[in-house]
Formats: sequence, C-alpha cells, structure tokens
Amino acid sequence: MTTESNQAVSGATSILRCENIVKSFLGVKAVNGATFDVPRGQITALIGPNGAGKTTVVNVLSGAMKSDSGRIEINGVDVTNWENYKIARMGLMRTFQLSRELGGLTVLENLLAAPKMQAGESLVNIFFRPGLVKRQERENVERACEILRTYGLYDLRDNRARELSGGQKKLLEISRGVMASPSLLLLDEPMAGVNPALIERIGGYILDLKHQGVTILMVEHNLNVVEQICDHVIVLAEGRTLATGRLSDLRANQEVVQAYLGEVINASTHS
Amino acid sequence: MSAIWYYVFTLVFFLFDYFILAMGLNIQYGETGILNFAYIGFVAIGAYVTGAVSMPNSVGTGQHYILGWSIPFPFNLLIGGVAASLLAVIVALISLRRLRTDYLAMVLISLSLVLYDVCNNFVPLFNGADGLYNVPEPMVGVFHLTSNAFVPFFAAVTGVVAGILWFVMSRITRAPLGRTLRAIRDDSGVAAALGKGVFRYQLTSMLIGSFYAGVGGGLIIQFGGSFNPSAWLPGETFVIFAVIIVGGVGNNIGLIVGSLLVETMLVHLPAFLPAIPGHPGLIEYIDAMVIGALLMVMLWFRPQGMVPERTRRFTIPSLAARKDDGDAVAVGANASPKEAE
Repeated sequence: MTTESNQAVSGATSILRCENIVKSFLGVKAVNGATFDVPRGQITALIGPNGAGKTTVVNVLSGAMKSDSGRIEINGVDVTNWENYKIARMGLMRTFQLSRELGGLTVLENLLAAPKMQAGESLVNIFFRPGLVKRQERENVERACEILRTYGLYDLRDNRARELSGGQKKLLEISRGVMASPSLLLLDEPMAGVNPALIERIGGYILDLKHQGVTILMVEHNLNVVEQICDHVIVLAEGRTLATGRLSDLRANQEVVQAYLGEVINASTHS
Repeated sequence: MSAIWYYVFTLVFFLFDYFILAMGLNIQYGETGILNFAYIGFVAIGAYVTGAVSMPNSVGTGQHYILGWSIPFPFNLLIGGVAASLLAVIVALISLRRLRTDYLAMVLISLSLVLYDVCNNFVPLFNGADGLYNVPEPMVGVFHLTSNAFVPFFAAVTGVVAGILWFVMSRITRAPLGRTLRAIRDDSGVAAALGKGVFRYQLTSMLIGSFYAGVGGGLIIQFGGSFNPSAWLPGETFVIFAVIIVGGVGNNIGLIVGSLLVETMLVHLPAFLPAIPGHPGLIEYIDAMVIGALLMVMLWFRPQGMVPERTRRFTIPSLAARKDDGDAVAVGANASPKEAE
C-alpha cells in the first residue's frame, strides 16, 4: 500500500460542501451543525467516536435521509434534501456500513444494475429500439467483467450475491459503485469486519480509484488505513465538526485526542 | 361435444387465464416486491369494463351499467386492460410514494374491500350485487359458432392471448428493466442509491401487471358471459398469490406450473366433482384447506417454488478465451449476454 498522506490538500477545489447540517431523531441531535469540504480528487476520511453521527452524515449526503437544516452542495449545485436517486445521478455513489448486496441478483447483475439511465430500462426502447438495448447491454457486460476481474470477483460472477462472504460483499459494493462511474464515492466503513490481507487489497483499490480521478469520502475507524491512504481527515464528535486537516496535524490537537484519538494515536506517535 | 370435453376445455381456459393473471401479479410481487393484495380488484375492473363496453346500451336490458358501447373483441379486452392500468395509476399515486411492504399491503387490501363495496352497492355502475350478465360471446357471429363450439374456441383464443402476453413479459423481464425491478425488489434503498427512480419503476410495474389483470378479467367475463361481486372477494387475490408461490416467484415457466397445480387442479377441477351427499359445499372447504396446506408446505420446504427463479448468466467468449490463455484483463467486443438455467 502506498503512503499518500503527505500529499498536500491545500488548494484543491471542493467537490462536496456541507454547511451546518443538522439531523435529529426524536429530539436527539445525531448531527448538530457539521460543516466541512471534501477536496476533489483526494481521499478524505471521516472519523470520530461511535455515535458521532458519521453514518448519519453519509445518509444525509447521499439523500437516504433528509436533514433538518443546513446546506449541501455537489460541484456547486445545491442538492440539499434532494431525493437519493437524483443525488446519485449527480455522480455520488455510496456503500453501506452493513453490506447491502442485491441478494437475488447474481454478482454480475449487481454491477449491471449500476449504470444510470440504461436504454433497456425503457419500455419503448425494449420493443422499438432492441438493437440499442442489446449494444449497450453488451458494453455494460464487458465493462462489468473488467471490473470484476480487477476486484477478484470474476469467478463468482454467476453466484447470487447473497451467497458471498462478508469480505466479498464489501468488494461487491465497491465494485458496484465503480460500475456507476462516480465522481464521488462515499464508503461507509469499507474495512469493517475484514481480514488484514483484504484490508490491504481494499486500500489498494481505493488508491487506484483516486488515481483514476474519483474523489473518496470514507468513514473509517482503522487509523492505520487512514494514515496510509487518506489525504485529508474530518473529525466528527457529537454531531459537530471538531477539526479537519492531515492526520499528522490532528495528532497535536488536544480536542481531537481527547474526543477520539486518545491513547491510540499517542501510542502510534511514540512507536 | 360431450360433457367431459366441455369440462376439459373449461379447465384449459382457466389454465391460460390464470397464467395471464399470475404473470401480472408476478411482475408486481415476484419482480418488483409490491405486495398487491388488491390484485383481484384490478381483475374485476378489467372484467366489468370489458363486459360493459361489449354490451349494448343498458336501456331495455334489465340491467344498470355505464358505457354500453358494443365494442367488439379484442378492442373491448384492450379497453378492460387499460381501465385496470388507469386504476393502478391512481392507486400508485395514493399509496406507493409513501408506503412500503406491510403498510402498503394493508392499504391495498383496504382498497380491494372499498372497490368491492362500491361495485356491490352502487347499482348504476355495474348493476350492483347482481353483476353483469348476458355479456356477448366474442366472435360467435363471425365464425358462426354454436354454444358448444365456443368453449374450445375461446380456450384457444385465450391460449393465443396468453402466448402473446408471455412473449411480451419475457422481453420485459429479460431486459435491463426487469433487472432494475428485481433490484428494487431486493433492496429499494440500494436501487435508489444507484440512481434508480424507485417510484417510477414501481409505477411501471403496477401499470403492466394491472393491464394483465384487466385482460385476464376481461377474458373471464367473456368466457362465462357474466361476472358479479361474489367472484372477486378479496380472498381470491390469495389464490393468485398461491399460484405464483407454488409455481415459482419470478419465473414465467413456474407460473404456468402454478396455474396448473393450484387453479386448474385444486380450484376448478373439484368444482366439477359431484357434491358429497349430505354435505353440500364440503368439497369447497376441503379445497381451501388443501390450498392452504400446500402453501404452508411450499413456504416451509421449497420457498423458491416448483420452478425457481432463474440465475441469469452471461457468456463472454472473448473473456473466456483470454482467461484460458492466462492473459491479464482485456475484454473483446463480442460478449453476448444470455439467460440460462
């Protein structure tokens, strides 16, 4: 895994801007004024203690939940409280904390379901433009197979997705997101419950995506991974943005150390 | 024609007709995951509208009904299908946008009861509890058919209609549209996160399925010449659910197996058996118990149905060749997706 954490983040334009996002559940503020930018073309980690509101932020950003207040911009377009499918069409794809594969579909079909606005999703095209549908489907199959080969899932392409192991489901989710040609990929704990070898592989895939121009925002608790692949870190605590910057800088931030990093980061600093 | 052949062709008619109805419910439930417990209501609307547009003006017929345009087959059937689809649009706008799974099912079963009560009690619409009768037998004049000849003739016509609708449904379910519907069935949240407008696709599924329901209902009223509310009590929906659960959810071949086992063998065949002396109606109760038991057995031991949903496989010759040669990833231009067992 290549170390990229020293790459400068200053000067990069933002692909995503969040201002004062608030989201409550029965009066409890899960997100309470989160404000941050996600720099384009970089890997940004969203870290924080359990209950900090990280997954809620991802849900709000992807449109799966509506915020109570605040503003979200993708590429300068205000997408606050847009429906999730419209946000996805803006180029934002996401994975889930607990893998959510399309279990009744095969692995290959999971990827084929990803491209947006397919010709074969229209009744008119199915019956009156079958050539177009067939050609596009063939192209999609070819591309999906390429991606599956890259992610090591090609031999499982005809298996139903529900038959995969936990790690394979994580890979499937990422590859499905890639199939949708995203400009921004939100990864919600991609390393959770994954063995060290696979963590290494997934980290490599994420770096490859960055080099292909995809911006990554990932929720992650594994600080080794954050340190090795992330360019920029956002620390969330009690629903608020506590600090942003490079992990190396955040180590010196007492608020961050107290809220989240604590002994873990101190230990890694002294080792 | 002997009585036995009359029965046989009647059973053949119901086999094809329930195959059509099962295809309609299957795209809604089996492919899209919409628990449409009001399905029989769409069948009924299709039947009533097909019957009413086939019949002459109600004045002097002794019945009260709207329309009465004397429209011939198959245009009357198309109108019945479209009427059911229009009802589906209204239902979808009311219920599908906000409700999911159990709550949607409760609203739909309530809707079925409301429809039933309206048609049963509001006489000017479709003649109330008496329902429509003396619906003209289609094409009898054109082919100079006797009453006896009509039964096998219309069973064959229904077979042709079922064949056409099966072809159309296969095209839809094999296309990316079918895959998107199945994605919504498996997890509508994931489908939306992939940029699929879930409501739009659910509406499409409701429209298609309800058109099939309307056509199936239209065929029933033309075959029997009559239709009244007792024929579409909400429980009838569950018989069609039994057809697709027993046959195989999400598999068109399974649906015809389900139609044969449940509708033909268990529902209609016993109806031709002589009553048990001293116990009128007992056969019907035994029938319902057998269907219920069969459903439980299938759900427990073989939830995928007699003919399970197919795994769709795609053959990519160029990739297979590359793999054999041990080459790196490179995909040729002649990939050809196809469906296989």
